[in-house]
Amino acid sequence: MKFSTKGRYGLRAMIDLAVYSNEEQHVALGSIAQRQGISTNYLEHVFSELRKSGLVKSIKGAQGGYLLSESPSDIKVGRILRVLEGSLSVIDEDSDNTAGSESVIRNCIKTSVWDKMNARLNELVDSLTLEDLAYDYRERNGIDNTMYYI
Amino acid sequence: MKISTKGRYGLEAIVDLAIHSSEGRVNLKSISERCGISEAYMLQIFLILRRAGIVESTRGTQGGYALSTEPSKITVGDVLTALEGPFAPVVCITEKAKHTCDRYKKCTARSFWERVMNTLSDVANSITIEDLVECYKSNIPLNTELDYYI
Repeated sequence: MKFSTKGRYGLRAMIDLAVYSNEEQHVALGSIAQRQGISTNYLEHVFSELRKSGLVKSIKGAQGGYLLSESPSDIKVGRILRVLEGSLSVIDEDSDNTAGSESVIRNCIKTSVWDKMNARLNELVDSLTLEDLAYDYRERNGIDNTMYYI
Repeated sequence: MKISTKGRYGLEAIVDLAIHSSEGRVNLKSISERCGISEAYMLQIFLILRRAGIVESTRGTQGGYALSTEPSKITVGDVLTALEGPFAPVVCITEKAKHTCDRYKKCTARSFWERVMNTLSDVANSITIEDLVECYKSNIPLNTELDYYI
């Protein structure tokens, strides 16, 4: 049961952007690629979706790059993951159409297990902001957190 | 990040087995028919469940499968991890990868993924097969399967 590479790399790239950009400084994809060990090509693909969803803004040109479009403490991790992964569900909602889908057992499993897991998963990812993850990143990498702490 | 059909069908089959176990051993064919799944696929699933010690089998005309212990002692987590592996939403937090990722200690995303994993496995480990059987019993139409009605 895995998140896709888009979700995993996209989240790491957003954390990187939150840590290394601010209102004046945009960040070039190449630098994110280098720090995070992700190919620039792949990041372009991911960032075009992030831009379309309004999470990041791009600055064009040779000195170009990306900025977060909102403050990281206003961006829930859940929102980022939903943009990159679609709805967050532990099962593939569409493939529930095998024979006997009216089954009582199947419904019991749906309400007692899948729905419960999905609810807790969404609760968790919506309880965390990009700033929470950026803070953790700075702690782990010895980057000063005090400047960013309000 | 999806639980595969193996996990979903396997869980359904285990609940079906628990429900029909009062008659003695249950054969694969009847489980497959009730669940609307091919016997061949069901066999693959039951081989895994047998190796994991969740079911036992006997051969012969009165043969078939039985749960290895009471349904109240088997959790949804037991069944899903037997069929799907650990709840790791990304490979890098599994035991194997611990030693291969050079970012392991400094990775913020990893600790987030661990929280996702713990959330999902906590839910799965808190639900027993007995809970699902109870749900089934309280939801079957009144005039069927009277022997299960207390």
